[in-house]
Order: sequence, then structure tokens, then C-alpha cells
Amino acid sequence: MLIQQLANGIAIGSVYSLISLGLTMVYGILRILHISHAGIYTLGAYVGWFSFRLVGNFWLSLFIGMIGASFSGYLVERFLYTPILHMPRIAPLIVSIGLFIAMEEAFRIIAGPHTLAYNARIGIGDLSIGSFHLTETQILILIVTFIILIFLWTFLTKTRIGLAMRACAQDAEITSSFGVNVRAIIAFNFLIGSAMAGAAGVLIGVYDNQVWPTMGSIPAYKALAIVVLGGLGNIPGTVLAALIVGLAETFFIGVLAIPFPRDAVAFIAMIIVLMFKPYGLLGKA
Amino acid sequence: MGRFIWKGSLLLIVGILLLGISYANAQDKIKIGFFAPITGPAAADGMSAKNAVELALKEVNEAGGVRGKKIELIIYDDRLNPQEAVAIANKLIEKDKVIGVVSGSYSGPTRVTAPIFQKAQIPMVAGYAVHPDVTWDPKERRPNDFCFRNGFLGEIEGAAAAEFAVKHLNAKRISLIFMDNDFGRAISSGFAERAEKLGATILTKQMYKFPGEKDFRPYLTRIKEGNPDLIFAAGYYNEAASIVRQAKELGIKAQILGEEGFDSPKFLEIAGPSAEGVIIATNLDRDDPRPIVQNFLANYKKMYHEDADMVGASSYDAFMILIQAIEKAGTDPKAIQKALLETKDYNGLTGKISRFVQGEVVKPVQIQIVKGGKFRRLAVVDNPEVITPPVKK
Amino acid sequence: MVSGYLITIFITVIIYAMLAFSLNIITGRAGQISLGHSAFFGIGAYTSALLYTKAGFSFWISLPISAVVAGIVGALLGIPCLRVRDDFLAITTMGIVFVIEAIFLYIPFFGGAMGIGGIDLPQWFGREMQKTEYLILILIVFIFLLILDRRLERSWVGLAWSSIREDEIAAHAMGVDIVRFKVLAFTLGSAIAGLAGSFYAHFLTFIMPQNFGFAQSILILCMVVFGGIGTRWGPILGAIVLGILPEISRPIMEYRTFVYGLLLLAMMRFQPEGILGSESILRKIFKQILIR
Repeated sequence: MLIQQLANGIAIGSVYSLISLGLTMVYGILRILHISHAGIYTLGAYVGWFSFRLVGNFWLSLFIGMIGASFSGYLVERFLYTPILHMPRIAPLIVSIGLFIAMEEAFRIIAGPHTLAYNARIGIGDLSIGSFHLTETQILILIVTFIILIFLWTFLTKTRIGLAMRACAQDAEITSSFGVNVRAIIAFNFLIGSAMAGAAGVLIGVYDNQVWPTMGSIPAYKALAIVVLGGLGNIPGTVLAALIVGLAETFFIGVLAIPFPRDAVAFIAMIIVLMFKPYGLLGKA
Repeated sequence: MGRFIWKGSLLLIVGILLLGISYANAQDKIKIGFFAPITGPAAADGMSAKNAVELALKEVNEAGGVRGKKIELIIYDDRLNPQEAVAIANKLIEKDKVIGVVSGSYSGPTRVTAPIFQKAQIPMVAGYAVHPDVTWDPKERRPNDFCFRNGFLGEIEGAAAAEFAVKHLNAKRISLIFMDNDFGRAISSGFAERAEKLGATILTKQMYKFPGEKDFRPYLTRIKEGNPDLIFAAGYYNEAASIVRQAKELGIKAQILGEEGFDSPKFLEIAGPSAEGVIIATNLDRDDPRPIVQNFLANYKKMYHEDADMVGASSYDAFMILIQAIEKAGTDPKAIQKALLETKDYNGLTGKISRFVQGEVVKPVQIQIVKGGKFRRLAVVDNPEVITPPVKK
Repeated sequence: MVSGYLITIFITVIIYAMLAFSLNIITGRAGQISLGHSAFFGIGAYTSALLYTKAGFSFWISLPISAVVAGIVGALLGIPCLRVRDDFLAITTMGIVFVIEAIFLYIPFFGGAMGIGGIDLPQWFGREMQKTEYLILILIVFIFLLILDRRLERSWVGLAWSSIREDEIAAHAMGVDIVRFKVLAFTLGSAIAGLAGSFYAHFLTFIMPQNFGFAQSILILCMVVFGGIGTRWGPILGAIVLGILPEISRPIMEYRTFVYGLLLLAMMRFQPEGILGSESILRKIFKQILIR
């Protein structure tokens, strides 16, 4: 059973990492708590679901979901955040919260309050070794997350744009004085981060076979806790934190059987770690 | 100081103006109040209840109304927020001056408003809210005799499910998983108590966070470890679908027994083929040949292009129960209440109500099974020992 | 004779006004982002509820105790919070709401998901208060708070707060004891929220953990933002408008929450000072009218 729970934990942790990465990337470069990121995650799920109904192919719907999410992330950056960057920090935060609430309601108004079933045929098949059972959707999550993370890592460390992004996260002013188009980099940042959130949305939609308007509520706060836990703006930290939270949640429920509110685990882990490492697990001042 | 007064009165004027706009006119019809979580986290159930009651309204009015007068249904959205429910209750009593109320909402809003309707002596019939405090005042230790409940008390439904599980399914080792709210706790404790009384063993009892839990794999993996004969799962249709699907994915072979929360076409849709063979305790029998049932199912589908569910059926019934009392006793709320108390052998959509005991129904519990992708009748639990609500003192 | 329905609305609005007002002290006057205000509202409500139902304390005693308890918790939580700034503060206050809501939900002593019921309106002169009288009581307390706020604003405390709000580092350099004043703001804001909580519990007669969650925090923040962060009357106006909105918008009840979200979004994007802020449209219109 322990191995099974391990698989459960890593699967859910992987999805958490996909959502949280976008959040940490935005924070790293704009220092904004992008709460509406969870709205983009939900949008990805809806777009994916909708396109699956149209085209019938899962992989295509995943791709379209990511594109849709990506584009909306760009719109948010361009029209909502960038114009108010000069204002005190509370402004973009509240704008983000307001947008998130409006998005959730918009989904409800347009697509209805009911849960939609994603019901996608993936075609990989399950994996069974003795009593250990890795379900098809779990395999899917692991594969997709792995591919995306490899891609991201390669991109950030081996390409010029990636280098520019990391530089911007460190210090945007100096980077721009080197001739880097910071505005473009910021946009790029949102495009990638939002695409990942969209992917997470589709993956969860398929994993739970449910897409519903408020599916972003819990990830909104949980991703935040994960990002702080890992270190705001720190990418490897975020991935680590996401996996830890996924495993911890599964462990508490499945192995220790403590009747613990699952979603509080992320926050409690965050508070505990912050007491010893005020900038998160891998964060720096 | 001057600015203080000026600004203060400005605000006061704004406030009064806004309120003034919200005042409506009264008319000469029979007014019945209705509230449900039409928007917010329970919007799906709220809409279902609203649709069903509006269908009932249409039927009643098209047949000529009650005692020659048409019914006006005053609908409010409580957004699953008890505070709003309180305001709604006051509004229904003071502003709309209704003579009866139907609750299409969950326990939270229903329970807060029960004492308000009780105090105002306006009868209220709850469709499916489960909390005991709807019909019982815990502080004064006496029944809220103006409040009635069409649905089952959580404990009763759980006990009926256990009765069926142990006696008919021969389950001896049972695992429980339920949501962490009043319904989940009530139904699981009712189940456990009856099951243990009949000699079964409860292996594990797991409670999951509600609302919002989607990933049941950690819970289910633990259940699988214990190798039970039967899993009694409590949840609303989303959770139910997830539990059933994920159990199948994980290769769990035990029989799954659910409750009325499973009773929804959405459950079937989301769970897909893994719903096959799931058994539930509920109050809507799709195979019930009585015209009232078949007509409701057909008409609901025709009007709303969706299958009806337990929430809708229960709310429909609650409305109709109120109507029959008005038909019998007139428009005086106290007379209506008396008629409700005297209800005997009422043929409701969701079963035949023998009578009310302290506002609770004595009604058989339906056991349905998913066969061929649809809910079908499997059995009925009518052991009086199980289905008769306790008389509290 | 004013109808019971109107009285209920007024009471609800004043309680919200008190909440918005108390959040404004923390966020508007002292400039500290708090997304966890409903936690203190809840602490006050639960304290009052428990004292009344379990220990038989009368409302008149549990009211001040609730304020004190909420204030103390506010101070205690404020101290670690205030070592961090802005974003961390926002997240930590968010975390506080979740943790406190979880406590109310999971520890059976607090009644769990079913909450605590059977809380009555206060007794006086040997009988239960009427709603109208309760309204007047709350109104008096609130006016008293407004006067207090006015005094504070002009005092050394108010000056210290505005210096912290404008530029924390500079204020620190000038010798202002940042931590002390921040904690003071937190304590005061939480205490008043606790007070509101007590009024709320005895009015609603029944409280559930869900009433005090993150959504409630956001609603209160919405009121403050809409009316104007930092102004005295802004949050109150916000409370009135957003408190009455559910009443008049029943015809468009489907879109209510959507409108709230858009309102927050639009206000902050285009009118961050709020309706009563210095740059707002309302003021500009008034100025135009006055110039003529």
C-alpha cells in the first residue's frame, strides 16, 4: 500500500507543481501575487473540455487548452497588471482577486454550475505490478509533467530567452539596460506560466473526470502556500515544495489516517518551514 | 462637526434610497415562499430544486390553482449562506407575507430559518435538508411544530442502508467513507450503529473534507488494504462519482453502497461505466409505476432537457405537501399547520408518507441499483423499527 | 412602525460597516494588507457564542470579552506577521483565515460543521431585547467607534500610522517604532472585528464556520476598497452599498457575485482610491458642480 500511496502522492504533487510554477515565475519577475492564475488554470480545463467535445482527440484538446490558457494569461498581463505596476502592491493583488472571482462566475454563467465530465480516452492503459496499480491517468500526469519540466529546464538554462528571463527575475532594471526587451520577456513569462496552468487544468479535468466553475478555488490558495514554501520566485524550490505537499497530503490521509483537513497541510507546512527558513525551502533574500 | 453631519446624512440618504427601491407591491394570490442555493457552491442542486418546484407550480396553477386561487411562488436565492437565509426568512414573513414556505436548500440555511418561521407561526416544509435542528429546537428541547421535513433524517437513511447491507447483501466487513458535514456524520453514524447492532464489523471510518475533495485515492487505497465486503460511501454526486471511478481504477472489488447524494443523473454522467452495479439508499424510485412519479420524470425531462434527481423530486414533494394542506385547510397558516400535522398516508412523489412524527416522515427508504446506466429499483426498506424517527423529549 | 425586515437589513449593514471600518484601521490607516480579517470576526462570534451557550454568561459580559479575546489574538498573530512585508503578509493573513476556520470546523468543542446554535438576543430589564433596540445599541457603539477613530487620526498614533503607510523605511529611519504601531493597528482592528462578531452571533442566533472564511474576508475587503481605503467614510459607504446590493439585486441575483468580482477589479484598476478617495469620479463630479 505504501508504494501505491507514493504513486498517488507524486501524481497529485506533479499537478500541483505545474500550477505553482506559473505562479512563482510571475512573482519572480513582477513581484505580484497572481491569484487569477487559478482562473487561468480553470480556463485551460474548460477550453480543453470544450475542444475535446469538438475534435475528439485528447492530446489535441490538451494542446488547445494550453494555448487558450496561455493567451488569456498574456491578456491579463498586458491589460491588467502592467498598467498598474507603479501602484502600491495591494492594487494588483486586489485586481487579481477581483478577476479571479469574476472568472469563476463567468464560467458558471456561461458553462453552467454543473460539473462537466471530461471522459477522455487517452489510450495508454494501466500498469499493474502485483498489488501496485498505476492508473492510466496517473501515468499520463507523470509523463506530461516530466516532459514539461524538462522543456522548461532546457529552455531556462540553455536558451538566450531563458537566460534573459532569469536575469529579469534577478533585476529587471539592469537587465533592460543591457538591451533586453523586458516587456517582451514579461509577456513571455506569462505565456509559459499560463500554458503550464492550462495543462494542469486539463490533467486534473481528466484525472478526476470533472470540470467545474470553482475548481480553481482551492488551487488558488494552495499554490500560493506551495510557492511560499518553496521560495517565492524559485523554480526548483517550487517543484520540490509541490511534491512535498502532494506526498504529505496523501500520507496524512492514507497512511497515518489522521482526520486532517487536507488543504490545511500546505499552509501548515508553509508556516512550519517559514519559522526556520523565512524565505522558503530554497529561497534567498 | 458640520462635515461629519453632512457626510453622515448623505450616507443615510443613500441607504434609505437604495432600500426604498427594493420595495415591491403585494397582490391578491396565495403566496408561498421558496428558497434554495441558486447561485454559489451548491448552484446545481439549487437550480434542480427551483426547476422542480416551478414545474409543480405550473401544474397546480394550470389545474386551476388551490381553492380557486392561483399560487404565487416567491423565490429567493440564499447562496448557501445562512445569513442571507435569515434576511430571506424575515422578508418572506414581513414583506411578502407568505402563508407557507418550502425549503429547497441545504441544512445550513434551512436550520437557521426554522426558528424564525416557528416563531412567526408560518409552516415550512423542507425538501431534503437533513439537520435534526430543522424540526427540533435544541435549546427549548421541544419540536418546531411548524417545520416539517419531506426528506429522511440522516440517521434513518443510514440505518436503512445498513439494514439492507447486512441483511440482504450479507456484508460482514464494512468500510465507511463520508463527507465532513452534518449530513455525512449523521448518515454514517446511523449506518454504523445499525450495522454493528446487526452483527457486522466496521473496519475503517474515514472522513473527507467537504466541499472540494476530488482525489480519493489516498482514502481508497487505505480501504483496499482492509479488504472489506462493502464500502458505504456518503457524498454528493461529484464526490460519489469520483469515489466510484477511482475505486474501480484502483481495482477495488467491494460492493459500493451510497445514499441519496448519489441520486442524480450527473453522478451517472461523471462516473460513467464505473457506476454500474452501485447501490444507493434514496427516496426516488424510478421504477415506481404510479403516475405521479412517471409523469414527474417525463415532464421534468421535457421542460428542462435533463433528468430529474432526488433534490428536485424532494422539493417538488415538499411543495405539493404544502399545497394539499392548503387545499384541505384554507389560507390560515395555523390551519395549514394543523392539516400538515394530521397528514396520513400521503401518496408523495418520493414515497408514501404514513404520517409525520415531530415533523419527520415515516416513509419507506428506496434502494436503487445502477443497471444499464440507469437507476432501477432493487428493494425497499420498510422495517418500522428502522424507518420510524425517534421521538425526542 | 418600521418593519422587521428593514431592521434586519440595517443591523446587517451596520455590522458590516463595523467590519469594514476595523479592516480599514489595519489596511487603510496603517497600510498593512490583511486578507484574514474574517478570522477575528469569527473569533469574536465564537467567543460570545460559547460564553453564552456553554458558560451562561450574559451578552453584556461576553461582548467586551469577545473584543478583548479577538484583540489579543490579533496582537499575538500580529507580531510574527509584522516581521514580513506586503506579499508574505498577505499570504500569511490568508493562511490565518484557513487555519482558524479549520479550527472551528474540526474541533468538536466549537460545534464542528454544524456550528453553534441557540444564541439569543440580549436580555435587559428582565426581557429579551427587541430588534429595534438592538439596532440602536449597535448604532450607539458604532458612533462611539467613529469618534474614537477621529481622535486617533489626529493623535500621535494616527500620525505614526500614516508615516508607516506612506513609507515604512523612512518612518523607521525617523525613529517611529514600526512594530509597536503595527501591532497596535492589528490589535485594535481585530478587537473591533471581534466586537462585530459578538453582535453578529447574538443577532443571527446561530453561527457556522463557513461564515468566517476567506470569502467573507474578501467581501469585507471589497467594501473597504470600493469605498476608499484609508478614508473614514469610504468603508462605511462600501458596507452600505455592498450590504444592500443583495437586497435590490434580487432580480439580477444570478450575477451578483460576478458583479462583486468585476467591481473589485474595475475599482482597483481604474479608481484605486475608491469612491470617496481623492481622485475619484464622484469627487470630480462634485468639483465640477461646485465650480459652476
